[in-house]
Amino acid sequence: MSAVIFPAQPEQILKGLGKLWTQLGEQGKTSVLRACAMTLIVATDEPDSGYMASQTISELVKNHPSRGIVLVISEAAEHDLEARVLAQCWKPFGKAQQICCEEIEITAKPSAWPNVGPTLVGLVAADLPVIFWCRHHAALRRDARAAQKEGLAAIVDISHKVIFDSRGMLPHDALELIQGWQKQHRVVADLDWTRLTAWRETLAHLFEDAGRVTPLSQFHSIEIEHCEEKPSLAAFYMGAWLSAPYRAAVTFREGRGFGAGICKIILRADDETIELARVGVDCVKLTSDKGLAGRYNFGEPTLTALMTEELAIAGADATFDMAVRRAKDLAEAY
Amino acid sequence: MSVETESIPDLSSLENPLQDPLRFARRIPPCAVVIFGASGDLSKRKLLPSLYRLFYERRISPHFAVVGSSRTPMSDDQFREKMKESVSRFLEDSPFDEDVWKSFAEGLFYVAGDLTNPASYDDLKAKLDNIEKTRQTGGNVLYYLSTQPSHYAEAIKELGAHGLHQHASGWRRVIIEKPFGHDLLSARKLNEEIHKVLDESNIYRIDHYLGKETVQNILAFRFGNGIFEPLWNRRYIDNIQITAAESIGVEGRGGYYQEAGALRDMIQNHLSQVMATVAMEPPTIFDAENVRDERAKLLRAVRVMKPEDVHKYAVAGQYGPAKVGGQDLVGFRQEPSVDPDAQTDTYAAVTFFIDNWRWAGVPFYIRSGKRMPKRVTDIAIQFHAPPLGLFNQETRTGAVREARPNLLVLRIQPEEGISLRFLSKSPGSGMRVRPVSMDFNYGSSFGERTPTAYETLLVDAMVGDATLYTRQDMVDASWQIVQPVLDMWAKTKFNFPNYASGSWGPKESDEMLARQGHVWRVP
Repeated sequence: MSAVIFPAQPEQILKGLGKLWTQLGEQGKTSVLRACAMTLIVATDEPDSGYMASQTISELVKNHPSRGIVLVISEAAEHDLEARVLAQCWKPFGKAQQICCEEIEITAKPSAWPNVGPTLVGLVAADLPVIFWCRHHAALRRDARAAQKEGLAAIVDISHKVIFDSRGMLPHDALELIQGWQKQHRVVADLDWTRLTAWRETLAHLFEDAGRVTPLSQFHSIEIEHCEEKPSLAAFYMGAWLSAPYRAAVTFREGRGFGAGICKIILRADDETIELARVGVDCVKLTSDKGLAGRYNFGEPTLTALMTEELAIAGADATFDMAVRRAKDLAEAY
Repeated sequence: MSVETESIPDLSSLENPLQDPLRFARRIPPCAVVIFGASGDLSKRKLLPSLYRLFYERRISPHFAVVGSSRTPMSDDQFREKMKESVSRFLEDSPFDEDVWKSFAEGLFYVAGDLTNPASYDDLKAKLDNIEKTRQTGGNVLYYLSTQPSHYAEAIKELGAHGLHQHASGWRRVIIEKPFGHDLLSARKLNEEIHKVLDESNIYRIDHYLGKETVQNILAFRFGNGIFEPLWNRRYIDNIQITAAESIGVEGRGGYYQEAGALRDMIQNHLSQVMATVAMEPPTIFDAENVRDERAKLLRAVRVMKPEDVHKYAVAGQYGPAKVGGQDLVGFRQEPSVDPDAQTDTYAAVTFFIDNWRWAGVPFYIRSGKRMPKRVTDIAIQFHAPPLGLFNQETRTGAVREARPNLLVLRIQPEEGISLRFLSKSPGSGMRVRPVSMDFNYGSSFGERTPTAYETLLVDAMVGDATLYTRQDMVDASWQIVQPVLDMWAKTKFNFPNYASGSWGPKESDEMLARQGHVWRVP
């Protein structure tokens, strides 16, 4: 890692990166391959979560080589705006060549929010998509300060895709954020929707057979059991996605599960009931009164797994956009 | 609570409105996979591990079944136990999970039977009828012929005779392993026999090379980018070299191999398909028929050698004994079950010319051999040298050393990727150039596990996508281009062995290229 670059001006940071690559080239006995397919900006509000973000980036770059920019905006920062540069390197098993991705860590005091956007503009990798993963909870809150909101907006402005996690947020607040970003024509992803992929895929597979005795259209009611006291946005997403094709009725109720999220989904038709329930931390059981049964090994996905899935989707996600629209209606009617 | 929303698009007309192709793996419909030759090596090492892996990744529908069939008498449970042993042993890059296995094993069944005994097909029919009801497979069945090639025609005839080749509502497809015929005539005869029962659209002739990610990537590289395609022709390309080298010998398969040889085993099928992928015209639409039409067109454009030209454009080799890395390696003729006077080609190199507008005059050099210095499969596209050799270097003797690269290498295995080799100025004063490499490494750019060729091809057959399978006309054309060589070699008494184990093949092969002013590159 380089020494602190202060003040953190783009020119200085880029010079620091240049030096870093020269050092890497000199140090290694093996050749170094510089890999970059996007810029990934991660904004957080805690020094610890900055460290965690950096750790997650070091995992993510193996699948999605990127220039990582970790932005920690916290009262605990020493200076207004300071930066360090480092490289995330790894050697694939059995390979002689080392692969490295560059990372810039920027730490700032909250008073520096207005400087964040202009600094980042000069740091994004040329000609490549910019993905913004917002982990700055304070800036996402409805009651965020004006400077936080403006600083966040400045990062959204330079980003092609905005990723956040609505878990723990009020559904209405999260939906408002999503729709605001969508109005700015940004691709938006919510990791609490991404957590549903394994559930959704299992259910979708059931209806692959055109000759299925009970087609999806005959399932008139959907019950979602959620582990939290009130349905989370993920529960509304699930209800929205399942009910959208045939406008089935959706009900939500609290259930007992293993951690947060959805614990059971029930689809009812006149002649068949399908249940998909979490029966263990890593195990989900599928049953139908038509004799069909199966067990699937999916637990709570890691942040790395969720982000890996999202980083693979660069463009618009029509299914998510549809789920957002209908989830809003379900949440309002709840 | 019921909510009516006007803003939601109407999804009800979609085949499966819950499908999300952006995130979900490709849809595999409910079906039964019947494996003939279920106790064979392919089934144990490749097919069952691939099917388990697909199940592990939740890609197989819960309504699936696998029916193993071979002569060995076994119960369903015994078959499950045997396959568990194989899957846990041969599973690549994946964990073996007991719970997942239990669920997967519920879909495994077994029917003992002899392919040549019609009564066996009655048992199979009864089993499939029962599975259709209990596993809701919808009558869809994929037959996988992983048996002795001499049984292919008979097995398909019996499937037809017992009504197993069609179903009132489901589909029936057959995967046929290579070799598809022993020569042009036998391939045509086999096609005729099969077509008496099955329509071409239900025949999936497998060539696992086409299922390799890196072979598929050739199409993405060529037709997804506008950079190279304008250069992809005789004006800019000097020659193309396709190498498939193995460091191992016949590894106990001497009996089989001495009947096949490198030309039949590799060039007629795998490498001719790779050549077609490298050289074909872009399809108008990326679908099975259009892609296969272009591959077939290309293979039909390959010049068929006249008998008198075979010695100029084809070289056969056979490895002899050698000491490599301190280890004594036997020659082919000393391998177990091999005739001590065998005339089998363990090495074959052929020069093909493609007589079309794009490739006229460009030699395609293809070589494949056993007991080569290393295991490598790659395609090297050598571009023309610049019109003036500004940076050629004069040696002490006054000879001019041509500054080379201009080379694009598509690496199929190992180190899958693409390298562009070009000349760059060496740092310092003076204008000295040296070759450098710009590398794309498949494994490091996409860290995720890539599916095996069999996973890819099994999924394709189950979803009815034949893009990566070979069609009758492609098989026919690829036999046509090697048949004159096979005929001539059958009449020739070779002075084998003619290359030492651990070398890059016989000197005649180097001479074949030298006649065109070229040299084999060292992969």
